[in-house]
Amino acid sequence: MSTLTAATDQPSENDLPLGTTPLYARMHKWLKRALFVCLFGLVIEGSFTMPALAVWYGWPTLSFTEICSELMKVRYSDDTLACKFPYDMPGPPFGTAPEAAGQHTAKDKWGVQPVPQYPRLGFRELVRIHDERLARQAAEQQAAQRP
Amino acid sequence: MNLPTLGLRRGNSTGKTAKLVPGASESLTYDEHHEESRQAQREADRWLVTGTLLMGTMFIGFVGLPFFLRGVWLQRKAQKAGLSVRPIIVTLIGYLVILDAALNSLGWSLDLLANHTLLNRTIITAWGNMFDAGYFWHYNELGIGGAGAPGEKSWEVALILTVFTMRIAAGIGFLQMKRWGHQWLIITCWFGVVIWIGYTFNMTMYADVRYAGVVFPVVGWWLYDIFYITPFLAIPYLHSVNREIFSD
Repeated sequence: MSTLTAATDQPSENDLPLGTTPLYARMHKWLKRALFVCLFGLVIEGSFTMPALAVWYGWPTLSFTEICSELMKVRYSDDTLACKFPYDMPGPPFGTAPEAAGQHTAKDKWGVQPVPQYPRLGFRELVRIHDERLARQAAEQQAAQRP
Repeated sequence: MNLPTLGLRRGNSTGKTAKLVPGASESLTYDEHHEESRQAQREADRWLVTGTLLMGTMFIGFVGLPFFLRGVWLQRKAQKAGLSVRPIIVTLIGYLVILDAALNSLGWSLDLLANHTLLNRTIITAWGNMFDAGYFWHYNELGIGGAGAPGEKSWEVALILTVFTMRIAAGIGFLQMKRWGHQWLIITCWFGVVIWIGYTFNMTMYADVRYAGVVFPVVGWWLYDIFYITPFLAIPYLHSVNREIFSD
């Protein structure tokens, strides 16, 4: 009798999708739900990645080239660096030297497991860094022009 | 065993089932049924392929999602009408592993081959600064450009050229309900386990390079990357499905 009850609890083969046996019906149902979550996750995340990053790092106040330059300055702790655009063709990896070849300004604690020393960047902090540098440069220029 | 299997028709609300059962007086012939099922699957696949191609671009993925969902809906409708189409979960797994491999290949190909484009230098390094400084630290300093984190380039080359290409091919075979597609998807999805263990362990070994000075370290990386576990979700299905539905 108990066998009969157990058998009727499970969906019959005819109610199930092709290839799904009653034993694995519940697992397949939950896998399908998780797959839908992954699908939506990948699509939403993929779509929002570029706009979200652009806004976080200063667009539209800063152009992409300016963001690229500001990131370079932070990365290599060198305010004189700028993102070269358009880049010479054929550029790396097709033969010529890469953009940061031979740089020696980046700050790291070197060892078998190096530790970078650049600061963590907050929301739109590149805009502030960019504006402060421009103000500093303008002030320096004015000071130099004064008799 | 071929996919269109008259004996496995499902019940439906349109009342078509009775006349589709073999032996019923108004039954379709096997060929008619086969042709009708093939057309329904083809129509659904047209939407599914378009949707996946658009979603595979990553940046305009939201445009592809409605196309894909319409494809799933068409296939579900055909299934309910009693036609012999692919099970929905096979469709989901097949297209999602292709999408997963395509998205991974897209980002890594940019870093490998287009590392000096403005888009890459801005968006990929910004992403690196936010989630994984392997894509920020000493970027574009290696002779071949791109990510300079220890081991990263080896993973890119190895996985783009082996697992992801193999997985896309396997996904296509799987969607065609071929036995080799099922078998190769098992192989490439288990490869996924090797990828995740090897890749995350490599990151952990160089955790300072990857996460020092990063906006959303470790937990941020996991939240961002967790949606790439599709191949893991496929493994239990691939091992528990009745493999007779995949034909030679």
